[in-house]
Amino acid sequence: MTRLTGGLIDRARSLRFTFDGRTYSGHPGDTLASALLANDVRLMGRSFKYHRPRGVFSAGSEEPNALVELRSGARKEPNTRATVAELYDGLEAASQNHVGPLGFDLLAVNDLFSSFFAAGFYYKTFMWPRAFWEKLYEPAIRRAAGLGSLSMQPDPDAYDKGFLHCDLLVIGGGAAGLAAALTAGRAGARVILADEDFRLGGRLLAESHALDDAPATEWVARAEAELATLPNLRILRRTTVFGAFDHGVYGAVERVADHLPEPGRQVRQTLWRITARRAVLAAGAIERHIPFRNNDRPGIMLAGAMRAYANRWAVRPAKRVAIFTNNDDGHRTALDLAAKGVEVAAVIDSRPDARAQGQYRLVHGLVDNAKGRLGLRGVEIDSNGRKEWLDCGALGVAGGWNPNVHLASHHRGRPVWDEALQAFVPGEGGPCGLIIAGAAKGQGSTAAALRSGAEAAAEALAQLGIEARPADLPAAEDAPAGLRPLWHVPGKGRAWVDFQNDVTVKDIKLAHQENMRPVEHLKRWTTLGMATDQGKTANVTALAVMSELTGKPIPETGTTIFRPPYSGVSLSVLGGGDTGAHFRPRRLTPTHEWARAQGAVFIEVGPWMRAQYFPRPGETHWRQTVDREVLATRKGVGICDVTTLGKVDVQGADAGEFLDRIYANAMKSLKVGMVRYGLMLREDGTAWDDGTCARLAEDHYVVTTTTAQAGPVYRQMEFARQCLWPELDVQLISTTDAWAQIAVAGPNARRLLERIVDGFDLSNAAFPFMACAGLTVCGGLRARLFRISFSGELAYEIAVPARYGQALVERLMEQGADLGAIPYGTEALGVMRIEKGHAAGNELNGQTTAQMLGLGRMVSSKKDGIGAVMSRREGLAAETRVLVGLQPVDPAQPVLAGMHLFAEGAPHRTETDQGWITSACYSPHVGSSIGLGFLADGGARMGETVIAANPLQGQKVALRVVPPHFVDPEGGRLRD
Amino acid sequence: MLIPHPLLGPRDAQEFTYLGDAALLNRPDGMAEGAEAAFAEYVYLRDNPAGVHRELWFHEQGDRSWLVVTRDTTTHEILGAELARDVKLKGGAA
Amino acid sequence: MTDLTPITALGARAPARHAFGALTITENAGLALASLALRRDAAQPAPLGLALPGPGAWQAGQGVAAFWTGPGQWMIEAEERAAEDFAAVLAGEASGCSVTEQTDGWTAFEIVSDRGGAPIRALMEKLVNIDAAAFGPGSATRTGLHHMSVFLIRRAEDRLAVIGMRSLAGALWHALGETAGRLKGERT
Repeated sequence: MTRLTGGLIDRARSLRFTFDGRTYSGHPGDTLASALLANDVRLMGRSFKYHRPRGVFSAGSEEPNALVELRSGARKEPNTRATVAELYDGLEAASQNHVGPLGFDLLAVNDLFSSFFAAGFYYKTFMWPRAFWEKLYEPAIRRAAGLGSLSMQPDPDAYDKGFLHCDLLVIGGGAAGLAAALTAGRAGARVILADEDFRLGGRLLAESHALDDAPATEWVARAEAELATLPNLRILRRTTVFGAFDHGVYGAVERVADHLPEPGRQVRQTLWRITARRAVLAAGAIERHIPFRNNDRPGIMLAGAMRAYANRWAVRPAKRVAIFTNNDDGHRTALDLAAKGVEVAAVIDSRPDARAQGQYRLVHGLVDNAKGRLGLRGVEIDSNGRKEWLDCGALGVAGGWNPNVHLASHHRGRPVWDEALQAFVPGEGGPCGLIIAGAAKGQGSTAAALRSGAEAAAEALAQLGIEARPADLPAAEDAPAGLRPLWHVPGKGRAWVDFQNDVTVKDIKLAHQENMRPVEHLKRWTTLGMATDQGKTANVTALAVMSELTGKPIPETGTTIFRPPYSGVSLSVLGGGDTGAHFRPRRLTPTHEWARAQGAVFIEVGPWMRAQYFPRPGETHWRQTVDREVLATRKGVGICDVTTLGKVDVQGADAGEFLDRIYANAMKSLKVGMVRYGLMLREDGTAWDDGTCARLAEDHYVVTTTTAQAGPVYRQMEFARQCLWPELDVQLISTTDAWAQIAVAGPNARRLLERIVDGFDLSNAAFPFMACAGLTVCGGLRARLFRISFSGELAYEIAVPARYGQALVERLMEQGADLGAIPYGTEALGVMRIEKGHAAGNELNGQTTAQMLGLGRMVSSKKDGIGAVMSRREGLAAETRVLVGLQPVDPAQPVLAGMHLFAEGAPHRTETDQGWITSACYSPHVGSSIGLGFLADGGARMGETVIAANPLQGQKVALRVVPPHFVDPEGGRLRD
Repeated sequence: MLIPHPLLGPRDAQEFTYLGDAALLNRPDGMAEGAEAAFAEYVYLRDNPAGVHRELWFHEQGDRSWLVVTRDTTTHEILGAELARDVKLKGGAA
Repeated sequence: MTDLTPITALGARAPARHAFGALTITENAGLALASLALRRDAAQPAPLGLALPGPGAWQAGQGVAAFWTGPGQWMIEAEERAAEDFAAVLAGEASGCSVTEQTDGWTAFEIVSDRGGAPIRALMEKLVNIDAAAFGPGSATRTGLHHMSVFLIRRAEDRLAVIGMRSLAGALWHALGETAGRLKGERT
């Protein structure tokens, strides 16, 4: 354990953690990466393709190398960046992507065959022979690829989502972000300051220079304390703003409990959707490296990261370090490390005129090789052709800084090349309302970043009409970096550009040779920038290398933009808690609890849970139950909750006219106190939905829809009311949930209802088939009664306020005991409607017409209803398939929905297809399976035998064509 | 996305159901001569512009208003939103 | 009076009530609701003495209240009158309007904070994409909550009503309770 002085760690407390089974210790304030480095662990993982040993490369979320599996058991989380994993007591981490121990990975053999794995390898190699793909190539690739492994267990933690609104969202809590937050917060604007780190300050935490002659951390602490007093400002720490979406909407993930061993009662993470009138992007900059041979040795890292480890975490990257730089910033690292007592072997500067800025050895030249497979042992220096091996355990590489333009490019905002900075800066066309500040804009010195943040906030607020003065800012360093570009060190061997996806300078050369030169081709051919880090430390360097090869300047070579998410977002948090039973809300009927008490089996019908059937003791198969329910209903009386059918209240002087236009058939002519079957068409002439329409008063109708289409039909009715005929006087409101609607069907239905109505005359003369009325039941409860039948029996539907639905069913069961009353579910309901030949969802499947349903004559040509004109067009009018009944010639044979119909002896092909079976069931009334289906010229083929076939499973049944009414074809029962 | 509801201000687009081209306001007269040809066009032929587009959105999880929203399909910028009812009463979508 | 015994939307005899730290959620089973929509050319009425509010607003009167639900459309609330035919009462007060009974179409959960408006705002933040700070007393709106359609009414700084479809009462109760429970459990 080696710690330097200072740092933002709490040395008074120790945290124990394990990595690959070995126990180490760190302090609060550490990340997993800083704690491992403090324990002299440099080897943290293996690369994706070549399984090269890798160590930590950065000190932030841009990390390409140090990816680990965090936690164990069901909480195991692969591909976690050690550089942002906050240390907690008991943390367990394991390296990934190796077979055998981390130090001796069997798949490192890939590295020996690297010449076979060059760019485009997959495209070239595994294409042939084709037969090898499924059995050989794919399994092998799958085994070898994919970095970490999943726990394969359900995530035990809870996640949620939330919604925030603000005037100004400040993304990033470094110098620019803090200045922006102070400026806007003091002006009284509603501000959200989000930072991915667990500590505000950004780069200020990693630097040694002063603000107003005091350590920068003191200013950060004062700023933070002031921000905490502002009631209009909210700080979201550990929160990554991962995407900029339309109209000022930002996605963010707050890692609420990732820094704790277990979340306890809290959620693990929260997905915030932030609606911001304006936003300031103060996401800083990401340092770039300079590729040279074997530049991926563990111990080689970004110079700024090396400085961060020393200053913020008091971690010595090695006893003896060297720096390779093309600008003054590299020297700053040397100075800071030297000041902490770390031995600086040399600063190798590619600029011939560079000067040492302290007491260390300066070499004018390049680093062109590195040794130490499992940990850096030395680098080879080339100083004007004079080569020398220099012993060191760590090398900091400083290639300049790339503004972190990620979010600025989410709306295809294209970064533009800044010649002076030698970097891409945000250009035009990014997310609207997003203003860029600080190093993200190329304002990289501390003084410039502070100023830029304050100005950006003032500008954003001015756009909103809020007056704000840029905050007073401390004096800070403002030195130019003096960068002279150096994009890679030429030479033999492999020099890595993209560490996470193992893309080297050679690969880029190969892409160039093979004419994959446009940046989009380069990326796809080499997989550059396509790993989870999206090439944050690689893309610009790769472009520069390609530019060198093509001889075109960088801006002409292309630019590279980023997509959301900024860094990985777990699917769990995107789900935001909508899992298991809460994946979607369930609608329950008013008699749900009662049905459950009766032992009902439930089935999901759209969003509803409905009773499917009510098994009785001794019934061992659902068919027994359903057959009993059907027969008992047809013999006595059955009771079924049909509340789920959509109900729409239609009122107004023009209600009848309106309904005439939305139904295919006429409704204006319906008499008050009567109900009519109604068919709705789509405007293209296809049958869409059906139901009943009851006229309660001259200007008041109640329309029912199918359960499945209740929402869409209501939407369509509002469309017709507002968009097509706003001049009509009509008002709509859904009443589906307000009324519990109970079907009472069977020969004893009237006798049963007579026992509960309050003196209402139910005789056939007073209340005939298709009548409706408002009345009271059970001693004064307001109710609506409809004499309609779906089963073909004498039947009614009675509606009462939903809170009484359960009591009504209990009363009906009690009063109906001697009449054979039983409850029935959706299964028996379905059987009875098939027996009666009523169309339902299977027949109204969006492919059928009124004519096919045998309802062609219902479509009125005397009025203009939705879909009427198109239903008469040639293609639909010439359709000969109509609804028929189907019965197996051999009663023991089953009829299955979905089978297609063919003439006897005809081949089973598309050309000879004559229709299909829409619905099928076992009919206890008929004593065999029966079906409904659409058959070509069906009306003229009664008695004919056709073949129903399922060629996929080789099934074949001979069926007799019969009328679609298996029960009471004359309809006497429902009219008596 | 946020839809600027003319009565309720900016609202989350998730509250809305999208239908499409506001030309659907201009339903032909089904009783007129040549209705079938007019309906074929109404039902099947839509403009699909890259740029400014007038389209119908239903505030399903809100006040149940149908809106005509003018949106630039290339940038998602929303240039305006009106109650469809008002648009229709003024003579339909141009 | 009928001798049938009603049940609440959550399927019980008595309304549900649960306290989660600063927040108490109570099922308001006694609330009567009826919708009122203007017919063509009708003058805007003032039923039961209520001045019908404009878009996004809620207006309380004596034991009754109204909130805007759409252009020319309001929902009228009446406390402890769920057992009555409140729609009929309202219809008598609003000639020239379409009135529809809505009492059992909905379930109302009244959420009360004993620590001012902050817990209400924190709860809203986790449930709805409505700016809680701009949703002060007298505000009402319809929006989505966990894939459900609900009305929200800010009855007072420390009171929020969430009115959802009756058939979804259980899912809504779960969503509200789980979120309120987590707010209580959260470290600050």
